[in-house]
Amino acid sequence: MSKDKSRKPHEPVAAGKPQGLNYASLDTKYIARITGVLLAICAVTALLLGVVNQITKPLIDAIQKEKTDAAMAQVLPADEYPKAETSAPGVTALYQAVSGGTQTGWVAETSTSGSQGAIDMMVGVDMDGKVTGVSVIKHSETPNIGTKVVSDQSVLDKFVGMSHADGEITVNSGANRFDGVTGATYSSKGVAAGVNAALAAVGALS
Amino acid sequence: MNFGKQLKEGLLTQNPVLVQLLGMCSTLAITTTVANGIGMGLSVTIILTLSNIFISLLRRIIPEQVRIAAYIVVIAGFVTMVDLLLQAFFPDIAESLGVFIPLIVVNCIILARAESFASKNKPLAAAWDGICQGLGYTVILLVMSAIRELLGSGTLNGVEIFPADYAAQMLALPVGGFLTLGVLIALMQWAQSKSGKGGK
Repeated sequence: MSKDKSRKPHEPVAAGKPQGLNYASLDTKYIARITGVLLAICAVTALLLGVVNQITKPLIDAIQKEKTDAAMAQVLPADEYPKAETSAPGVTALYQAVSGGTQTGWVAETSTSGSQGAIDMMVGVDMDGKVTGVSVIKHSETPNIGTKVVSDQSVLDKFVGMSHADGEITVNSGANRFDGVTGATYSSKGVAAGVNAALAAVGALS
Repeated sequence: MNFGKQLKEGLLTQNPVLVQLLGMCSTLAITTTVANGIGMGLSVTIILTLSNIFISLLRRIIPEQVRIAAYIVVIAGFVTMVDLLLQAFFPDIAESLGVFIPLIVVNCIILARAESFASKNKPLAAAWDGICQGLGYTVILLVMSAIRELLGSGTLNGVEIFPADYAAQMLALPVGGFLTLGVLIALMQWAQSKSGKGGK
């Protein structure tokens, strides 16, 4: 144990010139130049982004609408889907399904949390309060695990015919039971929560 | 300017993932399927090349004190453009890569190349550097995703090679990403020390 006594505890090891910013050069002109250049780069970037957004927005909206329409037609086929008002939790939009002038059911767009993020789904519900179909629009579940639930239509179709007549749908237990996929419990619960939200939203209306 | 040397550096001796250890986050996260690996690799290559060209062009204009901010604006601009264009014209790729496209903004390969190469070299050399480094990244993503998809889920680019029941599902999970990357880095170190011994 030898202490270096030539140096006091709080003295810097080597007293060199201060590194980094040269404060002497930070005069008004220089600040104006820095700000100006950064502002110009931001302005040009913003302008270009605006142009690209103008071009791509209609295309992206069309793709989104096409997907939504396809999902709605899949869960509950109908002629048109007029929008309905809802404030139910977990439901982002509610549509009436109208065929030949009479309402055949509801289509709810839900967003509930899965294991990795939100699972956005379309859930069709008929006038008796029974699920007619479930379609996942958007998800970020783990490939090969969560996707065994959200990307497998045969699993999602197990919800068809279920209702809230026996209470909320619960995963792997209870009277109104939905059998989840082994190893993907959180994804199964997320999907079930979406179906529950849709059924609750429709139930609150009638 | 030396095209061959830059290519060799990007693919092998200065490989962004295995030697510079940059861009680990996206490498670990998206290499679960070959399609994702290719999509991500090419997206990064395009953005890296574009940002390298523009940062090289602006290298005399950007003041040193605000250079990082300026680089980030340029990079974020290109990433957002590529994101929007992918969503509009290649919705399938955009969907499978999801949040990782916007996250290219913080992929340190791009900022590192801007700082260490593009800001000191002419646009043509910077563009070539972007392509080489991007290819190096893409190749590693491809190798990793092929290993993880084949052994983790028994498929290769979606085609079943053997039933998924026999696959080591662990490799498709984050832990498999760390293991695969670790093995590849070790192999790279071994290969480099070998070739170093043999004399250049």
